[in-house]
Amino acid sequence: MADPLLMDRMFQRIMRGLVETGRAPHYAELARALGLPVEEGRRLLHDVMQAYPIGWLHPDTDYIASFPPLNNLPTQYRVTVRGAQRWFAQCGFEATSVTWLFPGETVRIDAPCLDCGDPVTVEMRDGRIVWIDPPGVIGHLNYGFGPSRGRPPFL
Amino acid sequence: MNLFRSEEHARRWPAFQPRAEEGFITLAALAGFFGTETRRHMLDPDYLSTWYPRRAAERRAYLEQIDKRSPF
Repeated sequence: MADPLLMDRMFQRIMRGLVETGRAPHYAELARALGLPVEEGRRLLHDVMQAYPIGWLHPDTDYIASFPPLNNLPTQYRVTVRGAQRWFAQCGFEATSVTWLFPGETVRIDAPCLDCGDPVTVEMRDGRIVWIDPPGVIGHLNYGFGPSRGRPPFL
Repeated sequence: MNLFRSEEHARRWPAFQPRAEEGFITLAALAGFFGTETRRHMLDPDYLSTWYPRRAAERRAYLEQIDKRSPF
């Protein structure tokens, strides 16, 4: 495994890149930012993803697909901050922790209900829920983390 | 891991798994579950090495606190 300090630095580059632009940087960009040869940057990215297994690369590529709570691949969980819809949450659950990436800001989550397609809206600020529409919005985990867990289509 | 307009909507979802009855969680509990201490440090320079490794235990403790022990 790579140097933990270097892994921390790459992790922060990815997370902050996502927060600032809505997109995850490519490993070549990460390598340049960290002063590494490109191939070393690619290998370090794999080490970081292995150490952060709740995220993943797109299968058979070196492209970051998911880096929770945000997603580089669009999902139905659209995130709006300061009037700009630039981000996607990994899933409905992780959507509720996006608030911690934008301190002092109102973070709005908009998603279609998978049953009827009608909107689900949640607004949060510094971890507090400040608006819910409709009021009965609920989270649901379709697959557990135990024996019933299969492939995660719910994401 | 989805948000639905209500429990009834989730149950009507064609992909709803009957064994996932235990999978409902209120939005307030969800915000708590995804707002535990470590999640508040995602922008810290040492998040991956210092905070992330504490996440699983912290989340298990939170689930026990809200009486959701089964991972079904």
